[in-house]
Amino acid sequence: MHIPENYLSPVSCAVMGAAMIPVWIHAVKKTNEELPKEKIPLLGAGAAFSFLAMMFNVPLVGGTTGHAVGGTLIALLFGPNAACIAVSVALLLQAVIFGDGGVLAFGANCFNMAFVLPYVGWFVYKLLRGREDQSSKARPYVAAAIGAYAGLNAAALCCAVEFGLQPMLFQDAAGNALYCPYDLSIAIPAMMIPHLAVAGLVEAAFTVAVYALVRKTAPDLCYERILADAPDTGKKSRLPIFALIAVLIAACPLGLLATGTAWGEWGAEEIAEIVTNGKALGYTPAGLEKGWSLEVPMPDYALEGMNEVLAYILSAVIGVALLVIIFKLLSLVLKGRRNPA
Amino acid sequence: MIPAWMTKEEPIAPPRDGGAFALRTVNALGGALARLRVQRGRDGLPIPAAVKLLLLLGLLILLSLARNPLLLLAIAALVLGYTACLPARELGSVLRPALGAALLALLLFLPAMLTRPAGRWNNWIVVGKVFLSVTMLNLFNRRTQWNQITKALRQLRVPGVFVFVLDLTLKYIVLLGSLIVDLLTARSLRAVGRDRHKYRSVGGVMGVTFLRSTELSRETWEAMSCRGFTDDYRGL
Repeated sequence: MHIPENYLSPVSCAVMGAAMIPVWIHAVKKTNEELPKEKIPLLGAGAAFSFLAMMFNVPLVGGTTGHAVGGTLIALLFGPNAACIAVSVALLLQAVIFGDGGVLAFGANCFNMAFVLPYVGWFVYKLLRGREDQSSKARPYVAAAIGAYAGLNAAALCCAVEFGLQPMLFQDAAGNALYCPYDLSIAIPAMMIPHLAVAGLVEAAFTVAVYALVRKTAPDLCYERILADAPDTGKKSRLPIFALIAVLIAACPLGLLATGTAWGEWGAEEIAEIVTNGKALGYTPAGLEKGWSLEVPMPDYALEGMNEVLAYILSAVIGVALLVIIFKLLSLVLKGRRNPA
Repeated sequence: MIPAWMTKEEPIAPPRDGGAFALRTVNALGGALARLRVQRGRDGLPIPAAVKLLLLLGLLILLSLARNPLLLLAIAALVLGYTACLPARELGSVLRPALGAALLALLLFLPAMLTRPAGRWNNWIVVGKVFLSVTMLNLFNRRTQWNQITKALRQLRVPGVFVFVLDLTLKYIVLLGSLIVDLLTARSLRAVGRDRHKYRSVGGVMGVTFLRSTELSRETWEAMSCRGFTDDYRGL
């Protein structure tokens, strides 16, 4: 779902970036009001979950790959506003260091994965959750699963619409698309079918699994309890969470098993041969061929001639460490909610 | 019972006269001294300082010799992973010098990077290496007490006289530094309102500090001779 460089026209990128600015401002403001100061460094752990979830590529129908995002999970733990910040930072890191998602398309990627996804996920969850005292034990998990599924698919739909609008808006004299060559009638089914069928389920399973672990081991981390100002439960162990992060890091090379490129993330050299509806595209869109792109230090989480598995694990460690460092530094800047005591 | 005149608010707005210099000196010195003095019980891992020092030297040499990108990546992961475990307040002081050094390296390389794009990748690697080296050094510095470091140096067979000089220097930095802090604090407390002769105090402060340092060194020498110092120094 990471839109690469030059798939969207610079104008679309600017529009999406501009749309994100008020969202970011709102998110920072609300996070300052809602989240206690001591929870902000832990947001780094949330962002790390999201970062790792995005490294687990799963093979989807039609030979493409996809991944979970974990945005709903962070929204369940820290609230949708904090989730917006956390996923944005994770996406920035991926764009600048690992070349996953374009730097120009950063605004659009944030709109899909850091804005639409956590907010939709959170509101669906709230809608289905019901009142805490009445609901059964399984209800929050079912609500979380459906919220995560809905959130991911809403994000995929936004992404597909952004792709699909490009050929309608930007064409050269010969009628060839300048940027993404597939219009809405191709982009929406191509994005939505795999995400509805597989990726959404992966996201739901990932969300429920981690959410259940957190509710059992560190219930004071859940957003509902933070909002309700619930008293400390005394269970404060962060160990299971960091242990889970370590396990995910060790397991992330599994994401390499899914071969193939995610839909809409082809390189400029392979796009001409992509077959859609039995016919190859046959040309390379001009914007893609001559477009600007940043030289990132580690494109696709590895460097040439490296052992892919090791490089992938080390990338995961570096990414997680950087996210934790960034959020620890942010906790010095962000004010956070004062405790009444 | 507080008398009424004490509860009354008396606004005082001293004219701005650029008094920042003394205050800044006091703050900077105070911070450095606090770090030297209060460094207690903050060693993250219970590893002997000598082992840490060897590890640091080994890693530094490995980092500067390494050409294999995977090895560089592994070192980066190790250093960043350890840095991520630090409490938030210490992160700034570990990363800021490292970022500064990396920025300086980048500035030095900038002309080469602009004129010769082919070598850009190598230049970036050097910048990364500078960042990692300074971070490592800072981590060691922050997580190890000064007296442990000098002890480690002694254990690693560094000649006693060097360790002795280093130890004494550190002690004098603390003693003379706190003397300067006291002098400047006293001066700023007494100088209320406009103070046109601020810079006259600099000479005074330095003079007093110098006199005190000679006094201290004489006293140390006398005390050591009295105790039969035999030139073999094992650390504190």
